[in-house]
Amino acid sequence: MSTEDQKNTSVNVTRRKILTGATGVVGAVGATFLAVPFVSSWQPSEKAKAAGAPVNADVSQLQPGQMLTVSWRGIPVWVVRRTPEMLALLAEENGSLRDPASDESKQPEYCKNNTRAVKDEYLVVSGICTHLGCAPLYRPAVGSPDMSADWEGGFFCPCHGSRFDLAGRVFQSVPAPTNLDIPPHHFISENVIRIGEDPVEGGGA
Amino acid sequence: MTNMKKILWLMSLLILPFTSHLQAAGGYNITLESADNNLRDQESLKRGAILFSNYCMACHSVKYMRYNRIARDLGWTDEEVISEMAYGLNTVTEDVMTRMLPGVALDVLGSEAPDLSLMARLKGDDYIYTFLRAYQQDEEGVWNNSVLKGTSMPNVLEGIERHATPEEYAQAARDITNFLAYAGEPSKLQRLDLGWKVIAFLLVLLLLTYLLKREYWRDIKH
Amino acid sequence: MSHQTNDQSQAGKSTVLGWFDERYPVSSTWNKHVGEYYAPRNFNFWYFFGSLALIVLVNQIVTGIWLTMSYSPTGAGAFNSVEYIMRDVEWGWLLRYLHSTGASAFFIVIYLHMMRGLLYGSYKKPRELVWIIGMLLFLVLMGEAFMGYLLPWGQMSFWGAQVIISLFGAIPVIGPDLALWIRGDFVISEVTLTRFFALHVIALPLLLVILVFMHLVALHHVGSNNPDGVEIKKLKDNNGIPLDGIRFHPYYAVKDAMGAVFFFILFALVLFYAPEGGGFFIEAPNFEPANPLKTPEHIVPVWYFTPFYAILRAVPDKFLGVVAMGAAIAVLFAMPWLDRCKVKSIRYRGNSFKVLLTILVISFIVLGFLGTQPSTPLYTKLAQIFTALYFMFFLVLPFTSANEKTKPVPERVT
Repeated sequence: MSTEDQKNTSVNVTRRKILTGATGVVGAVGATFLAVPFVSSWQPSEKAKAAGAPVNADVSQLQPGQMLTVSWRGIPVWVVRRTPEMLALLAEENGSLRDPASDESKQPEYCKNNTRAVKDEYLVVSGICTHLGCAPLYRPAVGSPDMSADWEGGFFCPCHGSRFDLAGRVFQSVPAPTNLDIPPHHFISENVIRIGEDPVEGGGA
Repeated sequence: MTNMKKILWLMSLLILPFTSHLQAAGGYNITLESADNNLRDQESLKRGAILFSNYCMACHSVKYMRYNRIARDLGWTDEEVISEMAYGLNTVTEDVMTRMLPGVALDVLGSEAPDLSLMARLKGDDYIYTFLRAYQQDEEGVWNNSVLKGTSMPNVLEGIERHATPEEYAQAARDITNFLAYAGEPSKLQRLDLGWKVIAFLLVLLLLTYLLKREYWRDIKH
Repeated sequence: MSHQTNDQSQAGKSTVLGWFDERYPVSSTWNKHVGEYYAPRNFNFWYFFGSLALIVLVNQIVTGIWLTMSYSPTGAGAFNSVEYIMRDVEWGWLLRYLHSTGASAFFIVIYLHMMRGLLYGSYKKPRELVWIIGMLLFLVLMGEAFMGYLLPWGQMSFWGAQVIISLFGAIPVIGPDLALWIRGDFVISEVTLTRFFALHVIALPLLLVILVFMHLVALHHVGSNNPDGVEIKKLKDNNGIPLDGIRFHPYYAVKDAMGAVFFFILFALVLFYAPEGGGFFIEAPNFEPANPLKTPEHIVPVWYFTPFYAILRAVPDKFLGVVAMGAAIAVLFAMPWLDRCKVKSIRYRGNSFKVLLTILVISFIVLGFLGTQPSTPLYTKLAQIFTALYFMFFLVLPFTSANEKTKPVPERVT
């Protein structure tokens, strides 16, 4: 008979199951720990994080109605100096926005307001359409010729026609699902906005 | 003894000649003093970083280090590291570069000042410690270094050697060495601290796999 | 007529496994090669190294893939990218050390694996092809390691490659053109780096995996040898199962698992506490970027090549040195035919073989040491002596093995 015959039938099956189970569990734990470095190595490296450090935007030369662009973490961030007329139009309630209260969109706590800003005059917004990532066009003029008759100023994405108002809020019936993201930012002086960093002690300017 | 054991015993004897060659970068005919630095001594590392900034960064960079990493590892805030090491002139995410413009070292001293990020791994901690303290002047007042003869590098610690006690001078060299040892492999402490945990886990797993093996092998007459 | 499924796979006409078994030989492959592969029951310490080699191969491939995600195969970027991995990539230092420690571990395991073959006559009929494929694996592995070592683009990477490739230049007539062709440039350059990268990352690993597969198929086709050199298939029970055979699974699965964990502990000790291996696993000059204008004091290949390097240097003529080095490896291919003893295992062989093998092993180790040293007159003389002793094994064996005073080989394993 072969070597494997059990001479006595007292193969303790329970003991085998327990040992196999215990070894299996500990082995699985080990394998999980082993996976951590491989999975974590995909996180942004120190180099990427250093390159993604906050960026200062100097708005001293920015005229009312003008927009400037800075790059932060490889993303275009727009700073728009809104005129009183623009702010007045924003204040009007109209039912054509998908998320007027910015409940679904990404913005810091201190920007969850009607103008989605720290200082009403300055909009700091990510220039990436929330649909599929194209860069929308700045169309601040009311009744702009290439826009529809009831256009009150905002951003228009040429890729699939999404429209946002001058606070970056998305309109209904367009492909984009949410308002444009607002990055963390605060004023470190009268004319310099630090983009990519929340204010140190709560509250804006 | 079985032939197997004889062979293994002989083989293990033959490892002995290797052991005398366990040193960085090949045989030096100079006796090196022991640096005796401790990577876990954060105060020493901080002093070393400041000394490095004041005595070395005029010519040398540690380009693979960033200020924010040094701050994190040594126990400084971002503001502190910039004020201690960079006179407030750099941002914390920048690489630690030399203040000297490119090409100047070659013009003034006759050779480039190498980046020091990996010097400790290339030559060893003891080499750096000994080197810093191995400067001598000959009868004509010409400086030379017994570890690296003909070096273009001046005796940067000359001031400390003259005005401080021998212990302070030694400690300064040790602190700089310590900082360079850290800069050579910033994750070294993380590696050492993780190691014993992994091995402890594996010992538990070894016990289990051994018991499992023994259990199944009861079936076999062996 | 209805299809008869394989006798073994009664478990599964209506299970998931059954679905697959009807379309793919899942159960039958498992049974043939694992679940019902009968291996001799007397495997000892020397029989761990096959499975360990497979584990190390997987480690090299997986960590290698991850390193390739962050490595830059360019002259300007390579060295920097390795430091980027060591400092900036999360857990990059661990991935790097896993790969570098794994490379040295691979050769330790493989040399011990080959030693087992020599001890127990695993290269003898009917396993000659297992041995040949294994030797091909060894050649490919050396190529893979050599090319991998260029990638960090340090001083030793550059100059080690420079020296070894210039050896090809020593071959008469075609040599210089051959060296130029391998390098793709007049000296080792970025061109060499990028092509070695392609070969190291995909071409040779693919070849290794294919050869490992063939190695196992060849082995399983004839069945494993064992420390007694007894053919277990000669004595079978009524069910056709070798009397001295035990199923690989679960018996060797659990034993190899235990062996693997022990190996991991030794591996972890090196990985976490001595990854540089005293300057032998990661050589110190490699912490300096490659500089074509400055040659390091001692150009030494990585430790696992040093025995062959010592043989190369022992011969005063450049071309003949290359021939000797090649012959030192080639001669191993011929083992199945050089060794004419009918008895497989050293346990039952004559004293002549034991003495010869001991001399071979000692020579290999001493040559390995000598290969790390500068070639002083004394060391060169020693290298010549031990090179002669190394080759003596292969030259004398055909004669001594034909007339060995062997002991009677048992019918059953011990």
